[in-house]
Amino acid sequence: MPNERYFSVVFTIFFLAWTQAYAGESLHAAGSTTVMPIVSDAATAYHKAHPDITITVSGGGSGVGIASMIQATAQIGMASRNTTPEEQAKLDGKVDNIVIARDAVAVVVSKAVYLGGVTHLSLAQIADIYRGKTNNWKQLGGPNSKILAIDKEASRGTRHVFAEAVLGNAHARAPGASLIAGSNNEEQAIVARSNQAIGMLSNAWLNDRVRGIAVDVDGRGIRPTIAHIRDGSYPISRGLHVLLPKNASPAARDFVDFLLSAKGQAIVKKIGYLPVR
Amino acid sequence: MLLKFSLYACALLVLVSALSVPVFLLHASMPFWQAAGISSIWGREWYPYEHLYGLLPAITGTLWSIFIALLIAIPCGICAAITASELLPRHLAEKARIGMEVLAGIPSIVYGLIGLWVLLPFLQAVFDMLTGHSLLAAGLMLSLMILPTIMLMSMDALQQVTREQREAGQSLGLDWSTQLTRVLMPQAWPGMRSGILLALGRALGETMAVMLVVGSLDRLPQPFYNILQPAQTLTSRIGREIGEAAFGSIHFSALMAAGLMLAMMGLTISLLGKR
Repeated sequence: MPNERYFSVVFTIFFLAWTQAYAGESLHAAGSTTVMPIVSDAATAYHKAHPDITITVSGGGSGVGIASMIQATAQIGMASRNTTPEEQAKLDGKVDNIVIARDAVAVVVSKAVYLGGVTHLSLAQIADIYRGKTNNWKQLGGPNSKILAIDKEASRGTRHVFAEAVLGNAHARAPGASLIAGSNNEEQAIVARSNQAIGMLSNAWLNDRVRGIAVDVDGRGIRPTIAHIRDGSYPISRGLHVLLPKNASPAARDFVDFLLSAKGQAIVKKIGYLPVR
Repeated sequence: MLLKFSLYACALLVLVSALSVPVFLLHASMPFWQAAGISSIWGREWYPYEHLYGLLPAITGTLWSIFIALLIAIPCGICAAITASELLPRHLAEKARIGMEVLAGIPSIVYGLIGLWVLLPFLQAVFDMLTGHSLLAAGLMLSLMILPTIMLMSMDALQQVTREQREAGQSLGLDWSTQLTRVLMPQAWPGMRSGILLALGRALGETMAVMLVVGSLDRLPQPFYNILQPAQTLTSRIGREIGEAAFGSIHFSALMAAGLMLAMMGLTISLLGKR
């Protein structure tokens, strides 16, 4: 009996050593949950073509992606906003910032609000909601229900871009917010479940219960569509970035090239963002 | 000789780790205390980008959520333990124990998702709230999570009351309720108290489940007993922001200070509980 036990232990050790020796290179990408769908789909496709390279992808938000570059805790960073001057000072000269797609930050409302008549708003009207000056959908021509304004964690790229366009400053306070969400997933779930919510979400996360409204520019409602991101008329758009350290391994560099290749850009398009090439 | 030596060595290891955590928190939060001062404990505004680090809303939220959790879990846990170990037949009591052990082993993210999908819509409908995210939701989640600890420890404590004690009570002709309040409870109380303190520790430190249902909004309850509005707890603050806070920044140090406050609250409450 003991012999069998020893055998299994020895076997396990050999097996682990063997898998470790042949595991090849493993890369870790972290950051924006807006960029994540592109990178994780691309990682799957890339792994099929290069079985010796495994890429794990995790979220956390753009702030996390950028911090992971500063602290060298991931090989590839993802961000859905530009770096702030403080972050840039820490990254300068050490990290390449590559735009792999373009995206609109949609102003989303619950289905009931959209069907109730709120299909477009001006930036000033949206700002009033987040500043706490408007708190019932009736004031905006919608159903008679209180407004559930969802803000995002301060580090999130979507929050930066939205607050900059709507409130004038990426870190502006939003006293009208009634809730703080984190990832796109969490925000999408809350909006979908509510009948009175407004929030900010990447264009690719809209669905039947989470509707993107048009933003009024010069009296014309501009919907968050790929065409309007391309011609620049939609006012809340942004580049989606991956960050690659200058001393990155050839595999990491090759993966980023893959993101920019025809195959990679096809994934960008499939997910619902605007390809850059 | 060797046995004693290894016992002492292990005890030393425990002592070192028990001391090093608070020392680390103190050390890591020092830059924050120097920059923002002790007054941020009762500051009401938390805007890291404006260098405002008020901890009061999160401290209040933490206290409220554990208060609600204990208010529900202590009576329920102890009563259920009495029922299971004193009244139910042995095989049913064992089944209750297994059920509780399963509950205790469920990861907190699962509780969080249950809260998100089941508890929040329920609260939203019952109290006519915007979403259900609230201190009440956090307290209810926590009470569910700590209930197994309190009940299991109380059951053990009751079952350890010796047969001599019980027979002595019976031979005095005590009826069951007197037996319970005069013999069983006083004997079992120290064990139950340990269970409650352990549970309290879990409630204080619980992050994931609380983060998903509390709303993470830095506002003091208005008025102070309004537990139906979204709020913030120390753990949810740390959980939401630690990823972005650059190591060595004041923001990071402020989050360590929040951790230190949590550790001190835990210590204070357990010292009070030991009396």
